[in-house]
Amino acid sequence: MKNILDRNQNKANEVRNLLASRKVLMVNIISSPGAGKTTLLERTCEALASKFRIGVIEGDVTTDRDAQRLKKYNIPIVVINTEGGCHLDSHSISKVLDSFDLDNLDVLFVENVGNLICPSQFDLGETFKLAVVSTAEGDDKPDKYPMLFREAKAVLLNKIDLIQYTNFNHENFTRDLKKINGKILQFDVSCTRGDGLEEWFKWITDQISHLTSEPEAYF
Amino acid sequence: MHEIKIAEDLSVIVLETAKKENLSKITKVNITFGQLIQIVPDIFRFAFDEAVKNSVAQEAELTIEVIPVMMKCINCGNDFQVVENRFSCNVCNSTDLEIIHGKELFIKSIEGE
Ligand SMILES: Nc1nc2c(ncn2[C@@H]2O[C@H](COP(=O)(O)OP(=O)(O)O)[C@@H](O)[C@H]2O)c(=O)[nH]1
Ligand SMILES: [Mg+2]
Ligand SMILES: [Zn+2]
Repeated sequence: MKNILDRNQNKANEVRNLLASRKVLMVNIISSPGAGKTTLLERTCEALASKFRIGVIEGDVTTDRDAQRLKKYNIPIVVINTEGGCHLDSHSISKVLDSFDLDNLDVLFVENVGNLICPSQFDLGETFKLAVVSTAEGDDKPDKYPMLFREAKAVLLNKIDLIQYTNFNHENFTRDLKKINGKILQFDVSCTRGDGLEEWFKWITDQISHLTSEPEAYF
Repeated sequence: MHEIKIAEDLSVIVLETAKKENLSKITKVNITFGQLIQIVPDIFRFAFDEAVKNSVAQEAELTIEVIPVMMKCINCGNDFQVVENRFSCNVCNSTDLEIIHGKELFIKSIEGE
């Protein structure tokens, strides 16, 4: 039996091997539109750009507005316009990797196209997926989009500052999330007010440091 | 709308097969999806029909089988079907699991003449 996504999977494996050989951590960030991916990247660049060499791939349907927001951090950014497409795939990632100096990069954040279903079906060759959900979207996301929360290593629950204005039930959210993925990490944050971000910075710092300090493999 | 990209990838494989096997007409395409892939069959059918328009596969009959999510417990070895997104072992409650079924995107068979 032939897997329909073999082509995407093979390319993703290539990307994964390439990035591993250059010790670059790649984070595939997936959320609905407006959950706060770009704001998270802004905060993360502010906190970590002096410590690590950060690169960003912006998946955008038609514009480069998110990339413009990140220009001020003087980091390499490449925009992939999907021309209406609802997700990035491994071939588009592979093509733009040439534009980065991988030997001088520690971490590559990929802001996927805003959508909870499609991006979670396409492996990009990332080290791990990060899901971002905001309290304004309601607490039913894990149950509705199990594949994403099954695949993600961590979820950032953003806009925690707005929770008092919504009917978001934090207990139900965490319960549903753990039911789908008992190992997933959850960070409650506000990317605008700053709540919980220290914990996120600490964790992502550990992920990057762990990879870049790994001894060379000898055969 | 990942259905569109997946249907396009499928059409490429179908047409390559037709060429390789010297088929002048594809009559049937049978595929299997795991439930976790969240394919909407109607959208997929529509996208596939679009992708094979004006080709040897334009009249192909597409059969879609959806299979439920099955996991194996790494702790106790139990195999179980996931219901209501409950990804924990129904014997020992462990969340240390391995996926057996649910992420398939397989072409079972392609028929032609
Ligand atoms: N109140 C509040 N607004 C936020 C927060 N994070 C982001 N936003 C706002 O939500 C909107 C969408 O954010 P953006 O980062 O562009 O989302 P993206 O589409 O996922 O990249 C912007 O107006 C942000 O200022 C937060 O923690 N709290
Ligand atoms: Mg954005
Ligand atoms: Zn068990």
